[in-house]
Amino acid sequence: MAETPNVRLRLSNRAENVLLVRQALSGLAEAVGLDPVALNDVSTAVTEAANNVVLHAYGGEEGPLEVELTRTATGLSAVVRDRGSGIPPEVDAGEHLSGGIGLPVIQALSSDVEFRDLPGGGTEVTMEFDAACSVELQEMAADDGAELEAIDHSAAGDVTMMTVGPTSVARGVVPRVLSSLAARAYFTTDRISDTQLLADALVAETDGSVSASHLSVDVSVAPRHLEIRIGPLQAGRADALFGSAAMEGLGPVLERLTDGHAVSAAGTSAEMLDLHLAQKS
Amino acid sequence: MPTVAVTPAVGLGFSGSAHAEGDLSRLFERWQRRKDERAREELVLRFVPLARSLARRYGRSSEPFEDLLQVASLGLLKAIDRYDAGLGHPFQSYAVPTILGEMRRYFRDSGWAIHVPRGAQERALKVRDAQERISNETGRPPTVNQLAEYLEIDAEEVIDALQAIRAYETVSLDAPRGGGDEDVVAFGDTIGHEDERYELVELDATVSGALQHLPARERLVLQLRFVEDLTQTEIAERVGISQMQVSRLLRRSLEQLRALTDAPGQAR
Repeated sequence: MAETPNVRLRLSNRAENVLLVRQALSGLAEAVGLDPVALNDVSTAVTEAANNVVLHAYGGEEGPLEVELTRTATGLSAVVRDRGSGIPPEVDAGEHLSGGIGLPVIQALSSDVEFRDLPGGGTEVTMEFDAACSVELQEMAADDGAELEAIDHSAAGDVTMMTVGPTSVARGVVPRVLSSLAARAYFTTDRISDTQLLADALVAETDGSVSASHLSVDVSVAPRHLEIRIGPLQAGRADALFGSAAMEGLGPVLERLTDGHAVSAAGTSAEMLDLHLAQKS
Repeated sequence: MPTVAVTPAVGLGFSGSAHAEGDLSRLFERWQRRKDERAREELVLRFVPLARSLARRYGRSSEPFEDLLQVASLGLLKAIDRYDAGLGHPFQSYAVPTILGEMRRYFRDSGWAIHVPRGAQERALKVRDAQERISNETGRPPTVNQLAEYLEIDAEEVIDALQAIRAYETVSLDAPRGGGDEDVVAFGDTIGHEDERYELVELDATVSGALQHLPARERLVLQLRFVEDLTQTEIAERVGISQMQVSRLLRRSLEQLRALTDAPGQAR
């Protein structure tokens, strides 16, 4: 049985999203204690695969870029997937910016690489990396979140969907990804810091209160606005998070860091927390 | 550091179009069989853009770039010497792993993993200084794009620097202001304004529970942010420290509060 990915990203193939992939990878590397040279190898290879989706998968149109990162018994594995026309990198040799060296780079830096054509269109690149990780992750139950839905980016706009687990990985990944998105939304440095504090708080406060093995975080970005949906939390937990009791003597910390929130039910025993962050002018 | 004559790259000449293949195998033959230095120079000239491209991809967070380009060029020379055209593979499929291998070995052997944090820390200091300068000039903290433009670096490098600033221990970045971060008395001395001393006392009167366990400055910053709802920039002005210091103090003290409230018996 395949291992459950620690990080799954559902992005559009916009060029700026490759940065999110690298930030997520850095967060995972931190959580598993991957050394910087090995991280550089993995990051370079994954960047090549992701850039290939940005440049070639959809013939100039926008489409999904899907990434899965997993701590394995021998190191890390990374899956980069598109749902497009399925041009393997070598076909484009010499014709594009990548200069046709994407595939040899991936081959040189990974211990194993496989290409797979997907039913219904698209290509999946699976890269394995042998690398010593100094930190063992907490065992996770098989992912009960099932497959993330595909996003229609033309309708949804700039949306990032992510699932991440266990908590130690979320602690590395979620603040990095959220602050990168805050930067994209033209937040100023003090508001980016608030976003990081919020991410820290959410990861810490949801530890043990998530009703699944993975924390799911969806973010949509518009200029000066971030909309974050996080969960699934155990029913009733979101209100408790916002209650002043959550941080003794300080009042509503989460309320101060955000500009509005709402709670919606997710099934009978779980709920999702929606948060709005704004950059005041 | 090995030195290799590096000619500036022109275009992406390494992709090797079909009409150049015969030409290329002649060059390899002239160099490898007859030691014709001019043929070797021609090969280097042709493939330095490949080395440059690989150095840029592999060393995106490495400084200085020229050092890494030298290493990549050394890898290119090895590949030119050892490539066996008779095996029927294009030169590139041999050169890419050879050049990458050279850079990987360099990173491993040169303690790059240790030097990178230092380089990153220097960049973090630059970002911090630029942040303060722009804030002072415009009366408003900058966005990441403004910082990137100001420092002529990538937005991603700014984001990495903000991440680093957040992660570093306060001492390393606050050193110019003097150590003693944990020292409440030293903090009182640095404030220097009677008003703020007052503020501290006044806020202290409302302190309860786990907050009591934090140093005075952290309590003050927490309360200004979460009770009075000031922005980090407003707090920075009021307390006389930088916004990034406010950011770090908030992060650390929230972490401490969480630890305290998670450990019953200690805090209540």
